[in-house]
Amino acid sequence: MIRNTDLFNIATSGLNASNKLLNTTSNNIANVNTEGYVRERTEFKSQLVGGVGVGTTERVINTFAQNQLRRDTTQFGEFQAYKQKTDALDNVLANEANSISGGLSEFFAAVQTAADDPTNLASRDLVLSDAEALLRRMQSLSDFMLDKETELNLEFDSQVNRANSLIRSIGELNESIIVAQGNSRNDEPGALLNERDAAINELAGIMSIEVRQSPNQNGSKVVNLTSGESLVLEDGSFNVFQLGGDADPTFKQLQLSTDFSGAKQDTVLNIFEDQLGGSLGGLFRYRDEVLNPAQRDLGQLALAFTDAVNSQNQLGMDLDEQLGTNIFETPTIQGLTYTGTTPTLGISGQITQGAGATLTDADYKITVTNVAAGVPSEVTVELLNGDGTPKNDETGNPIIYTGIAVSATDFTELPGGYEIDFTSAAGYAIGNEFLLQPTRRAASDITMATNRAEDLAFALPIRVEANLGNLGGASLIATQVTNTTVDTAPFGADSSAFDGAGNIHNAAAAPGGAVGAPASILFTAADSFQVLDSAGTVITTVTGVTDYDDMLEQASATAGWPAAFGALTDYPGYDFSLDGEARAGDVFTISYNTDGFNDNRNALAMGELQQANTVQLSSNSNSDPRSFHEAYASVVSRVGEDASSATISLQAAEAMLADSTEWNQSVSGVSLDEEAANLVRFQQSYAAAARILSTAQSIFDTILSVAR
Amino acid sequence: MRISTNQIFDLNIRSVIENQRGLTDTQQQLASGKKINKPSDDPVGAAQVVRLTEQLDKLTQYQRNNDLLTSSLEQQEAILRGINNSVNRARVLVIQSGAGYTTNADRNAIGAEIEQIRNEVLDLMNSQNAQGEYIFAGYQSQSQAFEFNPAATGNKITFQGDDGTNTVQLSDSVTVQSSSSGQTLFEDVFARFNFTVSGTAGVTVDTASITQQGSFDNFHTDNFDPTVPANNQFRFTVQAGNQVQVTNVGTGAVVDTLAFQPNQALNFNGIELVFDGAVGATLDITLDSPQKKNFAETLNDMFLALTSDDVADTDFREAINDALVGIDNGLATMGLENSSLGGRLNVAQSIKETNLDLEIANKSARSAIEDVDYAEASAEFAKQETALNAALATFPRVTSLSLFDFI
Repeated sequence: MIRNTDLFNIATSGLNASNKLLNTTSNNIANVNTEGYVRERTEFKSQLVGGVGVGTTERVINTFAQNQLRRDTTQFGEFQAYKQKTDALDNVLANEANSISGGLSEFFAAVQTAADDPTNLASRDLVLSDAEALLRRMQSLSDFMLDKETELNLEFDSQVNRANSLIRSIGELNESIIVAQGNSRNDEPGALLNERDAAINELAGIMSIEVRQSPNQNGSKVVNLTSGESLVLEDGSFNVFQLGGDADPTFKQLQLSTDFSGAKQDTVLNIFEDQLGGSLGGLFRYRDEVLNPAQRDLGQLALAFTDAVNSQNQLGMDLDEQLGTNIFETPTIQGLTYTGTTPTLGISGQITQGAGATLTDADYKITVTNVAAGVPSEVTVELLNGDGTPKNDETGNPIIYTGIAVSATDFTELPGGYEIDFTSAAGYAIGNEFLLQPTRRAASDITMATNRAEDLAFALPIRVEANLGNLGGASLIATQVTNTTVDTAPFGADSSAFDGAGNIHNAAAAPGGAVGAPASILFTAADSFQVLDSAGTVITTVTGVTDYDDMLEQASATAGWPAAFGALTDYPGYDFSLDGEARAGDVFTISYNTDGFNDNRNALAMGELQQANTVQLSSNSNSDPRSFHEAYASVVSRVGEDASSATISLQAAEAMLADSTEWNQSVSGVSLDEEAANLVRFQQSYAAAARILSTAQSIFDTILSVAR
Repeated sequence: MRISTNQIFDLNIRSVIENQRGLTDTQQQLASGKKINKPSDDPVGAAQVVRLTEQLDKLTQYQRNNDLLTSSLEQQEAILRGINNSVNRARVLVIQSGAGYTTNADRNAIGAEIEQIRNEVLDLMNSQNAQGEYIFAGYQSQSQAFEFNPAATGNKITFQGDDGTNTVQLSDSVTVQSSSSGQTLFEDVFARFNFTVSGTAGVTVDTASITQQGSFDNFHTDNFDPTVPANNQFRFTVQAGNQVQVTNVGTGAVVDTLAFQPNQALNFNGIELVFDGAVGATLDITLDSPQKKNFAETLNDMFLALTSDDVADTDFREAINDALVGIDNGLATMGLENSSLGGRLNVAQSIKETNLDLEIANKSARSAIEDVDYAEASAEFAKQETALNAALATFPRVTSLSLFDFI
């Protein structure tokens, strides 16, 4: 039963309720532009004794919409970070001025122009300056990528710091919320909850997380990575991220470490970056899928190109009538040590001269498997991708070469066109691990080895001439030079017949010392010929000749060919082929191309490198290599594809984020029109409640006046 | 659905930004004229553009090579034409000198002109290009191709170069020889094949000369043995019954048996022999080693014969024969090279045209991939502009509606 005197209480409770409603509405209006603000609603229950009870103010929120928003934020964060970075590379490759392809074309065009007139110093100079311009283009592209890498590492730092501070603040907010809820049973600590939601959302933008209500029902939230690792724990403690790197200190890896206080030992967990998601995951994905492969592909292209040109130039003779030397200086790099290997132990690596076409983009992990007197004598080589994962062969197995014997004093050739040398005098042990990255910085580190236009070896060092007295119709159709390595006794396996002083070996200088290198051939009949040295001594006689192709190769197959010549890989290092019909007495002489300034045979061979397939596609040496231009085109198209698929993914993520944002806004956003209506409504209910008070007062007055 | 105030703004701003982004993209395409402004616009197309641009750059270079080759071949052609004209004039003079100009004064006059022609031909054989390179010296182009040393024994004009020739790349697969060596052009020319009477036993020789050079040349080519000198010696032995037997001294083989009348002409493979001898008497002839002489050398020999005052008539006739055959052989060799030169010019011309066609094909292929279709892009631009205009026009009207304005 309601009593009359309760009118005062009812009116007061109505006034209070309306006041509270007006407060809530005003608060909503005031926070209309507050980021992360969730509109609030005050609800009342009527009281048994009349009047309205104390209202409870709650946030209007949909947990599902909130979770959806968080997931979409993660996805958007990942693709946005990935695309922004990929776009930068995409834009650099789009720039004509940076085009390696244009640089290659200019270089080879200059070589051809110079080949058209091999004695012209001006056009030779152009070859060198175009070579330098090409190097500069490669360098600027490579430097750009190295800068990006540095920038990326700084960004990793700042994102990890941000994530850690967010994790910390979520933990702290959890504690505050528990306290605040204990203090006030009726009203939610909306501001704190909003703040925590905002922090969780921001963290979700950085990495993919799962959020659950604490099982203790105390209002706190538990946060862990999608892959399972806990970030914020139920008791309010939390774990933090840190960045590490094994072997390569610039190759950051993400780790999670516990933050125990007290005697408990802290532990460190490695995190799988590729499952991380969010902007941090996007950055790792960009590094592993776009930046690192592009860097290595460019380095591989640069090394393959410079090695091909160097090797071709070495086969020629320059304007100073010397055997050609290197045009480009390829870098010798220092290896890095893995954790557990003494960092002062040295290893260096460089490209094997002439093996540029077998070079791949792989990194080399070298493990010492045997040691003799403190110096490695045997190693195992593992090929790695840029992100540290093993490279697989065509059947999907990791590529590992075991039991490679290592020279104690010199460079040892490894599979894939690379060679290594252990530089420290002693101190190596079995199990030492080293990392070599042949192609990562290569494009930045290549320099010109010469700036003298005369050093371009456009001529071949050998001249084969038909004697004027020849009566037969045989004529020269091809001269090949395959080896110009200069060596003296004791001869290395790759020595050639060139003595490096403008001659080919005579008997005294040649291997074996009995006869000199082939200096002429004399036909004794149309189907047989003698090979003679420069002193006219017969080296060997070839009979039963069916064609005149590769005359010296035919001679080297005879029994008379000196064993000392046959023991070497490629001696004398030159050969020639004839066409037509020779007659007995015909003589062809082979001599060093002294004064052969107008010879452009090697320049043409250098120009033909443009079409040659000299860049390995994969670490599988059976696959077809590509030309320089093709290799560059595939770098461009791969980065382009990455950028374009990132654009599409980002658009999709954007649309989904917009959807879930709308869903959230639709539920939790403040509508000013609604609040305006509420303002009027609650104002009226306030006036009405006030009227109840005045009515109650007049009733009371009426009763008093009756009694008077 | 409930619409919150922020949603109204967000939706509108998003659609304005979206429209602006599309508009900027289209505007960039229109401004640059290209569909592919960065590789991600069309990754496959971008890779193709890289390759096509390389092809076009190469074609440009090939055309440049072609121009250089054409001009250098034309220069050589002009020089060969000059030599041809001079040598033909000399040939006329040589024939004249054999036909009645018998006095020393006459011969000296002709000799003076032949000397001039020799100098002219030698000069042409030592032609230089614009860079001062001797174009017929082979690889050793910085030293003079032919040197003239009047005091030398043997050939007075010697070739200093080598037979190296250069080639020029005209397309991915075609290279064309751009230079000819003086060795193949001038030096590798046989002088007149000849023989000498190398021995007699009991015979007196009246005449021993070549009357039919063609028959003798064939005989010489077939029988000359560069390795065994004795095989080049042929012995005429007078036999009973008015016959001579011809045997090869080296091999001992009987080559021929001919009818013989003392002091009457006997013909053996273009050789006319007139001799007398009893049965058993022998006459040996030896085939001379083939000599190689260039034009200048041949002309120099002729000049010496013409200007020497005490040359015997038979020797003078021989000299005329040597000169005529030498000139003819030289012209034949040069003619061969000349036609090869013409052939190479034709190849260069046809490759040039092929390259031009390829250039057009590649350019249009590249254009199809990367160039913007202006009509399409303009239409797209107009469409996006309309959409942006609509978004901008409605934005303030939607957002300015507020209940607060009415209470």
